[in-house]
Parts: sequence; C-alpha cells; structure tokens
Amino acid sequence: MATIQIDSLRKEFENDEAGSIVAVEDVDLTVEDGEFLVLVGPSGCGKTTTLRCVAGLEDVTSGAIRFGDRDVTDLQAREREVAMVFQNYALYPHMNVRKNLGFGLKLSSGLSSAGIRERVDDVAEMLGIGDLLGKKPKELSGGQQQRVALGRAIIREPAVFLMDEPLSNLDAKLRAEMRTELQELQHELGVTTMYVTHDQTEAMAMGHRIAVMNDGTLQQVGTPEAVYRSPTNEFVANFIGSPSINLLTADVDGGTLTGPAGFEYALEDATPVAGHDRVRVGIRPEDIRPVNADGNEAEASVVEPMGNENFLYMGMGDLELTARIANDLRPAPGETVRFEVDEAALYLFDVATGEALKTMTDETDVAVGEYTTTGGE
Amino acid sequence: MREAQREFAWKVLTYAVLLVATLVTIVPLYWILVAMTLPESAFLSTATEPRLLPGGHFAENFAALQGRVDVAILGVERVLGFELGFLGAIGNSILIATVYTSLSILLCSMAGFAFAKYEFEFKEPIFYSILATLVLPIQLLVIPLFLLMSRLGMTNTYWAIILPWAANPLGIFLMRQNMKSIPDALLESARMDGATEFQVFYRVALPTMKSSLAALSIILFLFQWNLFLFPLVILGQDKYTIPVAISDLIGAQRVYYDQIMVAAGLSIVPIFLLFLFLQKYFVSGILAGSVKE
Amino acid sequence: MAGSDARTGTPPSTRRQALVDAFRYRRQALTERLPELPGVAYVFLLPFFVLFAVFLLFPILYTIYLSFFTFQGVGGTTVFAIDLGFFYFPVQTISNLEFVGLRNYERLLTDRQFHNAMYNTVFILLFQVPLMITIALGLAVALDASFVRLRGLWRTTLALPISANLVAYATVFVLLMQEQGLVNYALGLVGIGPIPWFTSEFWSRFTIVGAVTWRWTGYNMIILLAGLQNVPQQLYEAAEIDGANRLEKFRYVTLPQLRPVLLFVAVTSTIGTFKLFSEPLIVSDAGAPLSATRTIVQYIYETAFIDFRLGYASALTWVLIAIVSALSVFQIKALGGDDGA
Repeated sequence: MATIQIDSLRKEFENDEAGSIVAVEDVDLTVEDGEFLVLVGPSGCGKTTTLRCVAGLEDVTSGAIRFGDRDVTDLQAREREVAMVFQNYALYPHMNVRKNLGFGLKLSSGLSSAGIRERVDDVAEMLGIGDLLGKKPKELSGGQQQRVALGRAIIREPAVFLMDEPLSNLDAKLRAEMRTELQELQHELGVTTMYVTHDQTEAMAMGHRIAVMNDGTLQQVGTPEAVYRSPTNEFVANFIGSPSINLLTADVDGGTLTGPAGFEYALEDATPVAGHDRVRVGIRPEDIRPVNADGNEAEASVVEPMGNENFLYMGMGDLELTARIANDLRPAPGETVRFEVDEAALYLFDVATGEALKTMTDETDVAVGEYTTTGGE
Repeated sequence: MREAQREFAWKVLTYAVLLVATLVTIVPLYWILVAMTLPESAFLSTATEPRLLPGGHFAENFAALQGRVDVAILGVERVLGFELGFLGAIGNSILIATVYTSLSILLCSMAGFAFAKYEFEFKEPIFYSILATLVLPIQLLVIPLFLLMSRLGMTNTYWAIILPWAANPLGIFLMRQNMKSIPDALLESARMDGATEFQVFYRVALPTMKSSLAALSIILFLFQWNLFLFPLVILGQDKYTIPVAISDLIGAQRVYYDQIMVAAGLSIVPIFLLFLFLQKYFVSGILAGSVKE
Repeated sequence: MAGSDARTGTPPSTRRQALVDAFRYRRQALTERLPELPGVAYVFLLPFFVLFAVFLLFPILYTIYLSFFTFQGVGGTTVFAIDLGFFYFPVQTISNLEFVGLRNYERLLTDRQFHNAMYNTVFILLFQVPLMITIALGLAVALDASFVRLRGLWRTTLALPISANLVAYATVFVLLMQEQGLVNYALGLVGIGPIPWFTSEFWSRFTIVGAVTWRWTGYNMIILLAGLQNVPQQLYEAAEIDGANRLEKFRYVTLPQLRPVLLFVAVTSTIGTFKLFSEPLIVSDAGAPLSATRTIVQYIYETAFIDFRLGYASALTWVLIAIVSALSVFQIKALGGDDGA
C-alpha cells in the first residue's frame, strides 16, 4: 500500500511531421493511500498516457513519480510492483485461467509452485471464478474475462492498482454490476487505485475523488460533488454532468445579463460579474424550472420521456437548451415554454479564460431526516 | 422450380470444375506411382498404350536405385553396418531442412518481433531493404557464396547450405506482419507481470503465433527441400540431398528413369506428411501476412 | 503441511515440483542480476543481421562490385564444377579483373540475347500469372461454396504439387509431355495433336507456362480460399437484399474484399515467374529452341557459368532486380489502392 505522488509530469511523443506532441503537461497529482481516484476526460486528453507513465509503460519526459517514499520514475514496469487491468483485458490467449492468474507470481515471486496454486485458488474463490480455472480465455464470456483480468491484478498484492477503462467492453447491465463490485473489492483490499475512464457517470459513481483532464493538463481534482457543483472552469462544468450543462454567452449591463434570442437574467448579486463586459452563463438541465408567467421564452422541440422524468429540448433562436422536467409535463413541439433559473444554481464563467466566476451556492448538507420533512415542496 | 434447376446446375458446374482440376493435379503424381512399379521399358515405350495400373517391378527398381546412389548421413551407415543408398539422401534432406527451418524460424521471429513491436532508428528503411532482397534469384548468388564458403572453410558441410538462407526475407516479412496483430496490451501486461523483454517474446508473443509459425515452417522447409544448384556445387556425395541425388541419376550417357521414378515417389512422402499435419495452420498463418496492412 | 510430507514419503510429483521451483528461483535471481540492455530491439535483430549481412548482403554487394569489372582470362584451376549430366560447367578461379565502369550496363542495351530472354520472360509472365490466378481464384470460389463437402480433402489434393520435388517433377514432366507421351496420348483420344510440346517455338513456351501453373496453382488457391473465408457473410447478405445476382456479388463483394490477398498473390507470383530457372532449363534440355524459352535468370546463369563473364552477369542481375522491384512497387500501387502495404 502506498500513496502515488506525481510531480510536474510531462510527456512528449516524437512525431515525424510535427516535431513532438505534448501529451501530458505539468501534471501534479497525489493519490492518497487506499484511495480510489478516477482520472476522467475526453479521448486524447492525456489520461491514459498519465496512467501508462505511472505504470512504467511509458518513459516520462520530465517530472517524477513516487510510490510512498520510493522514487519509481526510472524503474521499469516489472520493477514497480504495480498491477494493471487493460481495456481489452489482455489475457494471455494460450494459457488457461489458472496459468493466466499465476503467470506474474511464477515470474517474479518467491512462492513455491504449491504456494502459487493455493493463491490462485484463493483469488479465484474470491472472484467467483473457481470453476473456470481450466478454461482458455476465448471460452469465457466478457464478464468472466473481466474477472480473470481483475484476479490477475489482485493476486500479486501490488502496491498500486491501475485500471484503464476496464468496464468499457461490457454491456450496460453488467457494467453497472461490476462498478459496484469493483468498488467493494477495492474497499476490501484497500489498495491505492488509479482508474481511467472517459465516462463521467462512471467517474462520478466510483471515485473517492475525480481528476478531470483536458488537453494534457489537469483541470481539477476533487470529490465528485465538488467537481459537479464547483467546477474550476467551463470545461469541467461542461464535461461533468449528464445531460451536459447549457452554456451561452451573455452581455453584462450592471446586474443584467443579456443573451442571444432575448435571453435575459437579472442578478441580485452582481459582484461576480463586476468588471466583465460579457460572461458565459451555465445552467444545469435540472435547474431549468418551467413557469406559467415571466421568465425567458423558448420553443419546445423534442421531449424524451425517461420514465421518471422527461428531457425537454428547446430552442431560443440558434441556442439549444436541455431541461430535465417532471414526467407529467410534455409540451408539444412548437409550443412556447417559459422558464426560470434560481440564481443560486447559476454558473458564470470568464469569456476569455473559461475560469469560473460563480458556481452553485445553495445548501448541500441536507440530512436525510430533514429532507423528508422539508424537501416535498 | 427454375430457381432450383439453376441451383442444381451451379452445383454440377462447381463439382465439375473441382473434379477436372483435381484430375489434372493428380494424374502426373499418380503416374509417378505407377511408373515406379514398372520396368523402364513399360512406361517409356511409346509404341504401346500407356499403362495405368501399377505393376510388380518396384522391388527391382528400388534395388537398382539403392545400388546406383549411395549417400551417407552423419555416419549413421557406419553405426548400422549397412549402406543407406538413396534413403541417406532423404535423411540428409530431412535433417538439413529441419535444422534450417528451426534456425530460420527463431531468427525470423525474433527479428520480426523487433520490427513489429519496437521503435528504433531507420526501422522502415532497414525493413524494406531486407524485403527487397526477396526479388533476388538465389541461383545468381552461387558464385559469391561458393567463394565465401571456401574462405570460411565450410565447403561440404551442412552449415554451408543451412546458414546462407537462415536470415530469410520472406520469413521476416510474414513474422512482422503477423506479430503486428498481437495487441500491445498483451505484451505490456506481461511486462507488468514481471516479464523481461525476452520472456515477453518467448512466453507470450511466440505462443500466440502458432499458426504463423506453422505456415512459415512449411514455406521454409519447402524452400530448403527444393534447393538444388547450391547444394549441387557445395556438397559431397556423403551429404547429398534428394534433388542432388536425383540429378546424379541423369547421366550424360543415360538417364535412369525407372530409378528417378522411385526416388521421386519416395521423396514426396515426407513433405506430404508435413503438409498434411500443418496445412490447417498454413491457411490462417499465411493469410495474416498477406492481409494485414 | 507440504513440509511434513516431504520428510516422510515424498510423492514424485512433489519432488519434481521442488526441482522445478529451485530452477525457477535460480532463473529469477539471474534475471535480476542481468544488466538493463538499452536497445532491446537490436538484441532481437542481431542474430538475423549477422547471418543476413554475411551470407546475403555481402554476396549481393560483391555482385555490384563485380558488375563494374570485366573478366580477363581464366585462372588455371577449377574452383568447382556444376555437373547436370547434360551440362558440365567447370568454374575457374577469378583472375585479372579489369575495371570497366558502366560499360557492362551499356552493353546490355544492345545485347540481342538479353532482349530475347527479356521478351521470353515477359511473354511467359503475361500468360502464366493471369492464367494461374484465374484458375486459383475459380477453384477457391468453387471450394468456398457452402454446399461443397470434404473441403479439406479437395484442398489438400489440389495443393499436392508443391510437395513434389523440383528435379523429380521436371523429369516427370518431360516424360509426360514427350511427342508420344501420356499427355499427347490423352489428347489423341479426343482427336487433338500430337502437339510438339518441346520442339515447337510456340508450344515450348506454353509447356513452361503449364508446368509452372500445375505446380503453383494449388498453393495460391489455398491463400485465396483463406481470404474468401474471411469475407464477412453479412456483406453477401446485404448484397443479396440489394438484389445482386451471383456474378454481381462476386464483382462487388468478393473482388474488392479479396484485393489485399490478390495483391499478395500477384506480387509473389510475378516475382516467382521472373526468377524462373529450373523449368526453362529442363525444357531446353528436352530440345526446346533456346531462343523461345531462355529466361532472364537462365541467360544470366549461362553468362556467368558457361561464358564465364562474371562482370556482365552481375550487371544483368542488377538490372533484373531493378525491373522486378519496380514492377512489384507498381503492382502494389495499382492494385493496392489506399490500404496497400
């Protein structure tokens, strides 16, 4: 068990035409002992490269990586005591499950053959794949392969677990199941884990903390809630949350925001926009509240019933807005919808830098008991 | 009804095509089998109708062949206490082709692995230069190779015809193409499991390449099996391979057709067996090389 | 628990395991002590390159070197001899090389025999390669049909010729195709012939085409068949829904999907035909007119071994290599399209 400490990590790839491409730039990140940290971002953002640097599969261009107080920057993958689960599982096709599990122990542990056998049996038992030990990977289902891949990682009792989109090849139902199972397993073993995904829902559901990356740089590290409610910039706000946040550019006139197609919003507290001529306004779909009178006007285009709620897509001129509304509310296409937004739920960002000027300010710590009495309104 | 008729006609046509092709393929081979059991005069004579069924002359032809050709192999004949005749040539051919194939497979798969899975300076130019030597007719290397072998003191050794083509351009090409299809994650996963680069190669990469290795084995084995000109000039009688031994039966004065037939018939057997066992891999193994990239 | 077993009666399997483990620990310890090698790739390449450099690259470079020289007179001693029964070529020591620059290359511009050999080779190539690929493709398609039984047996049988020993097969071909051989006998039964397979200028080329095609069609068929079996079935189904008939499915699904495999077959066959040597040699032995059947490699071979003009032969070799390389590149460009290697 160990913390993972990444200091000013930089990774460049040589490229014939463009000189070199910077994949990861100046990343500082500490994963606490026993923590489950999810690295999330769009494809090509450098998250997998970062993970591979930690694994020792890529040489870093500059910077340092430490496990606990051990500097592993110049160590090879095989010397780092890390285990990794790959997206396609990377099970050895010519070995049966038992040999797949035992391969790492055979190569680098001091265990006797009998000892290895025992460990393989234990791990297989733990993951519920005890009856598959004699089978070859191609005879297994996707979920079973996934378990073997996990088993291969945990059997070596590594200091650090690294997972590169391990659930992305599973169907939706199995993925949800494995999510929980993985969390429980990680909790039980208490191994420091770095988990890479492009799926923000998965990141929110699984991580103790989330590290959001874009264009090779780290945007924000924090708990799922902090990242969702207090994004440091427009990118994070846009990337986290599904459906994603509605964004528009508005002119600032004192405390009044004027957007395209007649969008207007009067701020009670104008301090965040002081000194700005224009700002980016962000509204979460769930914060759009349909009203009978006043508010802004938009034209409904499509309603997607989700069962428990409806997604309403509407247009304000060229602007597309998404709202999550009650499931009994279904405006016909073309119908005018009026809506309001609470100021506490409004996000404001700097037009040029994207930096957050104001994020959610309402209460978050509502106890369960309190909620049932007051939350019904 | 019309549809069914057309379907039937198509089936008939398909089988007819296969049957004709098979006949054309088989007849010369069958004719060798027939001829090796007949006295020379029976299958060479042009006046009478050709004989289509085997006769009872095989033992005589075989004995004549054994009497004319005498090839030694690794001193085995001294241990056994009798001469091996033409069988010695078969033994030599098998021995040389086997050693050659194993060595070449090892070299080609190692180098192919490097070309497929590592980055290094001038990788592409080096690879394509090697590939370009594929177009070189090997007959034309006979003189420089012979001079080289004399310098190295390797004339009349097995190594003289094993080593020159062990670094086989087609072999490295096929292995590179096939190894490219090994997922990188598989190799990385082995590295994380604590494997050294060489262990990654022989414990993970090689075992997943079985069909390619089998395909390449057939190609290399056949290549060595059919080498003629260079073995002819560099091997002595004690190390003759099959083609050289057979060419010995073609004399300036007389060609011993009956014995050639026996030799030809016998020499098909080992390669036929090899092909029979490995051909199922041959298909998938060679295919990857032609399709990928 | 395992320990107490070991003291009493160790079962042989456990003892073997202990031995295996001991060996494993030793190897692990060794691995730990091995120095990190900076260029692993080069270590993998090294054995290949040593042999490649010594036995292929060196002779090749040597022929380049020789191609700028002419050969003056024969040394007294015979280095080695090629004894083909019909032919006996003593090869003598090289002496008195004289540097002639590019004159060897100039000479081949006006060398009638070279042009003739080139013509013969291209003639054979133009008939042999398309013929063989067409037959191989036809057979592969026939074998790929879903209703064909015993596919493996057909396939093995059709590929049998590649297992025939080259010298033996050449001899047998000569016997079969003699003026009064089996082939003419069979043709006579249906009222054709007899055809002068070897003595006629016209037919002797086709004898070579036939022999090469007989030998290599099955091999290429196997490769094409494997390619056919890799074509996704859905494509045929989609084409069928779009109303394609058998011919259209072949034209619009099979051929495009098979293109990379066809390319491989075409390039390797072309290279193979350019390197044609044994068949024309045997056919000339059997009495074919040299002017009709002499191929390039055969001509280079005669130049080197009979006339013993090593310098000129080397120059010819290089021209041949240039032609074949250019042709291969052209085929890859023309047939390969975007995804050609």
